[in-house]
Amino acid sequence: MSTQVVIKGPERTEVVKAWNDQIDVRVKIAGSGPALVYLHPAAGLYWDQFLDKLAETHTVYAPEMPGTTFGDPYAIHKVDTFLDLVLIYEEVLRKLGLKSPVAIGQSFGGMLMCDLAAHFPDIFSKIIPLDPAGLWRDDIPVLTNQLYLDKPENLPGYLFLDPSIPAAQAMFTPPSDPEMMVKHVAHSLWSLGCVAKFIWPFPDQGLAKRIHRIKVPALIIWGKEDKLIPVAYAAEFQKRIANSRVEIIEASGHIPQMEQLDKTLALVKAFIAS
Amino acid sequence: MKVLAFEQLAYRHFASDYADKYDSVTTMPYHALVDRKLMHQDHMHFLDEMMHAARSGFDGLATTEHEQASYDILPNPNLQMSALAYATQSEGLDVGLACVGRSLAKTREPLRIAAEYAVLDQISAGRLVAGFPIGLSYDVNRNNGIPPIETRARFYENLELIKKAWRSEEVFAWNGKYNKYAEVNVWPRPFQDKPPVWAPAIGNPVTLGGIIDNDDNFLYLSWFGPKLTGKRVFDRYWDMAEERGKDRNPYRLSFVQAVFVGETDAEAHREYGPYIEQGYRTGLGAIPMQSLGLPGYVDIKGLEFIIKDPGDFGIVPRMRTIDYKELVDNQCAIVGGPETVAQQLIEIIKDFRIGQLVIMVHIGPMPHELVMKNIDMLAKHVLPKIKGIWEDENWENRWWPSGAR
Repeated sequence: MSTQVVIKGPERTEVVKAWNDQIDVRVKIAGSGPALVYLHPAAGLYWDQFLDKLAETHTVYAPEMPGTTFGDPYAIHKVDTFLDLVLIYEEVLRKLGLKSPVAIGQSFGGMLMCDLAAHFPDIFSKIIPLDPAGLWRDDIPVLTNQLYLDKPENLPGYLFLDPSIPAAQAMFTPPSDPEMMVKHVAHSLWSLGCVAKFIWPFPDQGLAKRIHRIKVPALIIWGKEDKLIPVAYAAEFQKRIANSRVEIIEASGHIPQMEQLDKTLALVKAFIAS
Repeated sequence: MKVLAFEQLAYRHFASDYADKYDSVTTMPYHALVDRKLMHQDHMHFLDEMMHAARSGFDGLATTEHEQASYDILPNPNLQMSALAYATQSEGLDVGLACVGRSLAKTREPLRIAAEYAVLDQISAGRLVAGFPIGLSYDVNRNNGIPPIETRARFYENLELIKKAWRSEEVFAWNGKYNKYAEVNVWPRPFQDKPPVWAPAIGNPVTLGGIIDNDDNFLYLSWFGPKLTGKRVFDRYWDMAEERGKDRNPYRLSFVQAVFVGETDAEAHREYGPYIEQGYRTGLGAIPMQSLGLPGYVDIKGLEFIIKDPGDFGIVPRMRTIDYKELVDNQCAIVGGPETVAQQLIEIIKDFRIGQLVIMVHIGPMPHELVMKNIDMLAKHVLPKIKGIWEDENWENRWWPSGAR
């Protein structure tokens, strides 16, 4: 395996004015073809090889949650509740002119995506939650609060079965320029703080009450060795979404699309094509 | 110059290797670590020692609030303050009562705090200092489940609500972001027209700006090592105050300093030293660093500031295994005979322009008899040397309760 991780990244950014023009939502876009929406996890949008690959066949739209956009941190203070956030995302997708695209949501992004699909049953044509947050069982605690409490150097251990893989290393390597490093670290912590508004102390905003409203097909993908949100939650999602199935990815932690890119990508593409 | 006595209510009987095994916040197992009779005894000694300080000539008594903590078991310091308010009033001891914490960011009942403080001010006939800290991240966010990024907004809304509840002539409605009350009419109101407000903080410029703009008193804590953090934080404070059009009135500033006095330097180090070392290691030192600032708790500008220059934290990152010598060298505690202590205090007071010195008279496992001795030594030999500072400058102290001496 090459140790060099090459990421093409987004091709352009569109700014969508939302929430009565109070918030500028940045949407990173790449590729051409049918629209595909990607909703990022708690650490903010990190454009990886998975999104590069999807952009080879689709137009990938990846909105940044208010507050997590570099240089615009205080937008989060205009979003008071999770319902506000759901409505803001609906508005952004509508203004982008997307007609029932396929959606993929990772972790917190999966939680948000499921609630969008529950609130607005026609907003997506298919959904693919990747190790999503959003449900809670007392006997299987989700460890997001532990991740927030732990030392930053322990963060990779929550996300990857093997944090030494090049893709993980690339994600956790800060910029070498000292000024940029400071801004990058502060921005990363702030992004976690922004998302914590909706997942602290538990990533439970009542999705369990609404998830039955999801009517579109769902492919639930889970890393078998997920330490953050244990794989037992795959079945919890599956039994609550009528038209859904589960795929467990062996030898993967919380981010299967990085730790097992090829397998995950193959499942995603087959599901979209079906 | 006002001098107050301050204690945290630590459980005083932990084993010396406590910090190797346990944190001092949130997770330590109560039943495995605590003997109920000793816990009761510590509660009584805390009150006995504070009363002793009040009788010995201190101008005031101070307490803080920490929940789910083993180094300061005061989930609601107003309970202890209430006992002290009554006891001092009964004895005619007109000491100030500085409750320098009810954390306003964590509370979901700000009007309860408004009412409790008003009760304290009534019992004490106007001797209350109302402390309004934001609250430490572990307590606000971890213990109380407040999303870190809401910490500051909740603090400011609750502060505004409490101040309005105290002064409003009319019953009013409060339709806030975090509080919704149709009819606010707190009974009783404070005895004082306007109880002085002290805001404990660690020097974050964003927080300091708010304190200065509100014309409240800034209370700074020495635990981070004033030799390391004092000058930078106090210079920043006075520079910011000047930029914002405030005078250099020393009474704007209060400072917590741990002080331990023996007959001689050697005796003081020998008697107090081991308790000071263990107190720091098992208290502040055993709070996990991440729990002092969960993501979102510190504003992003403050984060950039801290990442670039972590100096405001002084020796906190090393506190868990800190040596006594380093604590003393950095003045985390000032220890010695009366002359040594007085000289160091006078220097700090004058250099930093401190109007209220809040002396921490106990730490960690320090036993009752030694705390009583420390209070005696301070009252007899140190207070007389520092109380007159600032008298010749005729500053008005608008941050001292009107009913106190």
